[in-house]
Amino acid sequence: MAELKNILLVEDNPKDLELTLEALERSQLANDVVTARDGAEALDWLFCRGPHAGRDTGDPAVVLLDLKLPKIDGLEVLERIKSNDELRHVPVVMLTASREESDLVRSYDLGVNAFVVKPVAFHQFFQAIKDLGMFWAILNEPRPPRPRPGSMKVIEA
Amino acid sequence: MTRSQTDQPAPLDHIDLTACEQEPIRIPGTIQPHGILLVLEPGELKLLQASVNADILFAGGVNAALGKPLARCWDDVDPALLDDLEQRVPENGIAHLRQIRANERSFSAIAHRAGESVILELESAEGESGSLDALYPRIRAFVDDLDGIPSTEELCAAAASHVRRITGFDRVMVYRFDDQWNGTVVAEDRNDRLPSYLDLRFPASDIPAQARELYRLNRLRLIPNAVYRPVPIVPTDNPQTAAPTDLSFSVLRSVSPVHLEYMQNMGTPASMSISVVVEGALWGLISCHHAEPLQVPIHVRTACDFLGQVVAMQVAARSRSIEAAERVERQRIQTKLLAFMAAEEQFIHGLTRHADELLSLADAAGAAVVFDGACTLLGETPDEAAVQAIVAWLSEAPDHDDVFHTDSLVTEMPDAEAFAEAASGLLAISISQLHPSYVLWFRPETIRTVTWGGDPRKPAQPEPGATRLHPRTSFEMWKETVRLRSRPWTRAEIDTADTLRNAIVGIVMRKAEELAQLTDELRRSNKELEAFSYSVSHDLRAPFRHIVGYAELLRESDAIQSNERNRRYVETIIDSAFSAGRLVDDLLGFSQMGRATLMPVRVDMDRLVGEVRRILRPETKNRKIEWRIGDLDPTWGDPSMLRQVVQNLLSNAIKYTGRRDEAVIEVRSERTPEETIYSVSDNGVGFDMAYVDKLFGVFQRLHRMEDFEGTGIGLANVRRILERHGGRTWAEGKVDKGATFYFALPHQARE
Repeated sequence: MAELKNILLVEDNPKDLELTLEALERSQLANDVVTARDGAEALDWLFCRGPHAGRDTGDPAVVLLDLKLPKIDGLEVLERIKSNDELRHVPVVMLTASREESDLVRSYDLGVNAFVVKPVAFHQFFQAIKDLGMFWAILNEPRPPRPRPGSMKVIEA
Repeated sequence: MTRSQTDQPAPLDHIDLTACEQEPIRIPGTIQPHGILLVLEPGELKLLQASVNADILFAGGVNAALGKPLARCWDDVDPALLDDLEQRVPENGIAHLRQIRANERSFSAIAHRAGESVILELESAEGESGSLDALYPRIRAFVDDLDGIPSTEELCAAAASHVRRITGFDRVMVYRFDDQWNGTVVAEDRNDRLPSYLDLRFPASDIPAQARELYRLNRLRLIPNAVYRPVPIVPTDNPQTAAPTDLSFSVLRSVSPVHLEYMQNMGTPASMSISVVVEGALWGLISCHHAEPLQVPIHVRTACDFLGQVVAMQVAARSRSIEAAERVERQRIQTKLLAFMAAEEQFIHGLTRHADELLSLADAAGAAVVFDGACTLLGETPDEAAVQAIVAWLSEAPDHDDVFHTDSLVTEMPDAEAFAEAASGLLAISISQLHPSYVLWFRPETIRTVTWGGDPRKPAQPEPGATRLHPRTSFEMWKETVRLRSRPWTRAEIDTADTLRNAIVGIVMRKAEELAQLTDELRRSNKELEAFSYSVSHDLRAPFRHIVGYAELLRESDAIQSNERNRRYVETIIDSAFSAGRLVDDLLGFSQMGRATLMPVRVDMDRLVGEVRRILRPETKNRKIEWRIGDLDPTWGDPSMLRQVVQNLLSNAIKYTGRRDEAVIEVRSERTPEETIYSVSDNGVGFDMAYVDKLFGVFQRLHRMEDFEGTGIGLANVRRILERHGGRTWAEGKVDKGATFYFALPHQARE
């Protein structure tokens, strides 16, 4: 059985982070979640450099990427991933508060795999996160995910 | 751009007169018979040539005298005359040397130089006495009169009257040339023996160019009797030059037979003319006529010449002061027009709303302003189609300057004959480089501004056709000359038009710059607004999402679940935050609507309404609604925006019929020549028409929040979408009887 890949969650807002992690937790996904609080951190982790040089984990199953981020914003992170031969295949889901058409168009131009506007109601948000996790996790797994024993492991990048 | 003198077509019956142009009028070889002409070699006063009537002076006859000094062939010659001839002949011009007697007759001895020769003329002065001194009081009276005379017309009238008083002619008139050398009689003084020619007009050909030049050089010419036999000069050629002697300054010079015929036809055997030469150019003539032969003595002629020069100086001074006054007046009008233009929101209205100023600026009868596709006609103009044709013609001609002027449009633009009556004269300025925009001034055909036929002063006429050479015929010829021609534009008028043009072009350019600046500012503020709403969309939604998120998590906790009141509190928090979030979403949607790019395509409205009804299905759960959907005409628009319109209106219809047991919602369409009108009617709570204006405003609500929820942005959005499509929306309603909302989209050219 292939080892479950991580989910990389890039989110600067602590409340959004908490709510998203709660949603992922409730989705009963077996994958570990790696969190990054800005675009630079996310890129360091993805490219195994800086503090993450030589990390033993592989590429994530999916990157859940907020659009507005400190240091390097979500669109630029997306662009770096999609323009890198090693990482291009990693699915990226834009998870954003924005309904701006320009963001949407730009994201698709850069090769985003999905674009989700965070719903206001938590139950809807929860459903969205669950759907996302299931979809991308199943895509990268040879078999359906199984409930994992114990709580989800959250690694801070 | 006015036509020059030379290319005027000669009227058919005009050949004899134009032939005058070739006549050798300076060397006719003959003199009039009222005197004797001698051509002398200046040194020894040897006789070179003589008129054959000089034989009365020479005992041995003229031929014997030729080649001899005057003192040796003229027996009783006055020695004082010989002294005068040696000493007093001026380098330029003529000199009245003295009165002499010869062969028992009195003569005025007049001399001047012609080339290397001296010409002595002995003009018959029988029965005359008098001197320039005697005339002095009259000349002085004239000069004194001038002070109180304001206009050139009155000056001319005074000159005519004084010349007549001094000379005793039956009629003295002042004849003035225009730019084309056509003449008009502008003043006249006469008795009843000769008819009035006041206001008569004569074509340029009446006085041929070389005659005019002679008038300019030799300011005074006298014909005491037009019925005369010319006296030949012998020999024909001056031995000094082997050519005929130039008689330009001769007082006895014989004149053209054509002219003599003309004089006889006028019934005026005696005539005299005094040239009025203003600043080196022939301005006009003081023309004197007598019904009988009349000899005017040399001293009287000298006085008349002086008078003519006084007139010329006065004319020059007056025309300069008139010119200055006109310039000041034009400046004043132009300043006014500029102020009008500055005051108007559309600067061009500064011209179109002040016809009087615009017309008087160029002294025109009509004007047209063609700007931005609009054509405004002022005063007497051709119709709009003709004006547009002129503008098209002007803008197509590549060689037209910024200022175009002509006093005969038809010679430049053949189609113009149709509207020559109002627009023979055209002065036009181009006021935009990009579009064919012009200010045009029109002048009518001159012929229409002159009356002759009904003139009570019309002279008694011989039967028509009796002769070509008569003032009556001249007037007919003049009419031919000025046909399809207007009064010409003066340099000052053309310059003023040019100045106005520069001012307008300046305004147009400044407006364009202002517009560009405004566009820049708008673009900048639009960008700022975009940045603002972008950050709002991210940052303002987040807190509401957090409130709802945490509250929902809290709701699941045992402490809340077990307490009904606590649960209600949490529900209220969630609801409030939820609706606040939706409000933000709606507002952002509204602001995006103004910016989003329109992607118009053909829209199948039947399908669109069907889709919207499916979307709205959750809202119609447990409702009994009768849908009456007609066959809807397709239209042209941005499908996602139109979907919002339909969704809004249908959703409203569903919402406001919520209290009906059985709701009826009807959707219809109607095609008019201009647009397709769609309507959504319901039998809901309706509204009071008094508030209809508020319906489509942002945050305008006609119902209490607890009755019908909503953010108050929906209809504002509907209106904005329609406006972006160039369409419109409106509503009708009655309280408790339902409402009908309409929206109309214009037909597209592509449809």
